[in-house]
Amino acid sequence: MKKFLIIAGCVVTGIVIVSCNHVRRDTGRAYMPDMAYSVAYETYAPSGERLKASGAHYTGLPVEGTIARGEMFAYMLKNDSAGYVQSASVKSPLVAESIDMKEAQRLYLVNCGICHGAKLDGNGPLYKGGDGPYLAKPATLVGDAVYEAMAEGTMFHSVTYGKNSMGSYASQLSTKQRWMVIAYIKSKQAAGKTATSAVAADTSAVKKPAMDTVTKKM
Amino acid sequence: MISCKPITQKLTLAFLIFFSFSGIKIFAQDGKALFQSKCASCHNVFKDVTGPMLGGVIDKEYYGGDMKKIYNWIYGVNTLINSDPHYMDLKKQYGSVMTQFERNSLPEKDIDAIFAYIKVTFETPTTREPKDPLKPETSSNQNAVIFGVISLILAIIALILMQVNSNLKKMSDDAEGIGRPEPVPFYRNKVYIAMVALVFFVVGGFYVTKGAIGLQRQKDYQPEQPIYYSHKVHAGINQISCLYCHGNAWESKHAAIPSVNVCMNCHKSITEYVKGPELFNEAGKKIDGTAEIKKLYEYAGFDPLKPNAWDPSKAKPIEWVKIHNLPDHVYFNHSQHIRAGNVQCQTCHGEITAMDEVKQFSELSMGWCINCHRQSKVNFNYSDSTGNKFYSIYEKFHNDIKSGKMDSVTVKDIGGLECQKCHY
Repeated sequence: MKKFLIIAGCVVTGIVIVSCNHVRRDTGRAYMPDMAYSVAYETYAPSGERLKASGAHYTGLPVEGTIARGEMFAYMLKNDSAGYVQSASVKSPLVAESIDMKEAQRLYLVNCGICHGAKLDGNGPLYKGGDGPYLAKPATLVGDAVYEAMAEGTMFHSVTYGKNSMGSYASQLSTKQRWMVIAYIKSKQAAGKTATSAVAADTSAVKKPAMDTVTKKM
Repeated sequence: MISCKPITQKLTLAFLIFFSFSGIKIFAQDGKALFQSKCASCHNVFKDVTGPMLGGVIDKEYYGGDMKKIYNWIYGVNTLINSDPHYMDLKKQYGSVMTQFERNSLPEKDIDAIFAYIKVTFETPTTREPKDPLKPETSSNQNAVIFGVISLILAIIALILMQVNSNLKKMSDDAEGIGRPEPVPFYRNKVYIAMVALVFFVVGGFYVTKGAIGLQRQKDYQPEQPIYYSHKVHAGINQISCLYCHGNAWESKHAAIPSVNVCMNCHKSITEYVKGPELFNEAGKKIDGTAEIKKLYEYAGFDPLKPNAWDPSKAKPIEWVKIHNLPDHVYFNHSQHIRAGNVQCQTCHGEITAMDEVKQFSELSMGWCINCHRQSKVNFNYSDSTGNKFYSIYEKFHNDIKSGKMDSVTVKDIGGLECQKCHY
């Protein structure tokens, strides 16, 4: 009888140990957490009931016209069709030579490349020629006459407020960063243009139809 | 020679058929390319995006299969939008107006090709089925069970053998006529008791120490989040950069949880989960991705049927459960590590691109921090563009590297073990 009890006990403990759930859903215990939790309110720390009751969540839009510390200046045009038209005359406040293109490229690849593609061909991993999850085709930034002719101010307006399926990137990119990204796109468009016209000039000597593409690009 | 004639005939026929088919294919391909370059930024075949869905639009009551009306609209958007009640209603519904096309930039045959492509795509439902469903992995769990069972069986066999051994010994003693006193039962045998006590002390001590060290540590912590957000789908399959959502990691102490509008950048148009692998939670329960996206819309206050009426400022924050918690007496800065130190996210957060539900990969203990500071090499080449100019002030180390005294500089050498670096 005793032997049976011992064996049964072994089997039961074995089963308990083996069948233990490996997913850890609890935070565990703390021992003397004197300096573990901040007395002051910390970002993303559990805010407690008092803050929650007062509705203090910081995900709303900033007050209109607010300029963050270190930010350039407020963009004054409104998000409407009149503002969109006016934006074409807005010029980039950045001096072209002083723009850190490496950083601009990084910003483009992180924030824009996912849809507009690392090659700016409007075919990023989210669209993948229609096989990706994104429904609308992102703009072909290099190689589409509409976007090559688009004023930098209009681009800035669209990035700031969003356009069609694209959302606003004002929360992810500062004003300066948005202008940097647009400078990067414009530089790539210029590079693409010289490349295609060079290719076209080569082929136009041999083939006539190539002229057609040249005139279209111009 | 005569028999050759039918063969050549058949061959030409075959060629003709082949070319005609490939011609059709080129036509449909053209339609796809045209659709993608001219229409797809605002229209989708299956869903309303910025403009109405185009699948089956031709069969709607207004058009009644008449391509002429389509041409009229495409070439006359600017007049029809203010005169035709059908289009005035559409304008009210979608809030934006289509760009008018000219006949020379988009001739009628191109429109035909586009609508042929739309028809073919719309009537082939197989393209919308989810691909390659993945089963949840249970092999590691099964392995643990198998090992447990095997060790149990071995333990029982060992017990039986010991019993058999003592019985046999008793029998042989009996046969040889050696009278021995009745053996002490094993639970009163001092050797046994001492052994068990020792084992108990060692094992118990091990677990007590381990438990005490583990107090307030949360390795493997994997809480259930308000929305089943899969990093595997977003950062893995769809290759979204970590910094797209956690951009603050580049610029500040916190890696920052994205606000709802960042989710909505993509989910304004991605309203359902159909193209990725099947999703399962840690308990093995199947997750409906589309339902999870619906949860996001609840927080955002977004109605997929009326996308233009959405007001981002009305969104409610999602209260994600924080997984990585450092005590308040430790200072940690993300930008210092990933921007200045060039540390990859995965070094501390594990293979996040393969995690459906995120769990804490690292211990986040002081020993773990210090160990990495001892081993991580600092990029000291400040003279070329890859390194940090700040390191030029460590003249002694540069001289030591030049003279061969040191081969590399670790974080430890530039003060990475100073208490005040992290505790102040």
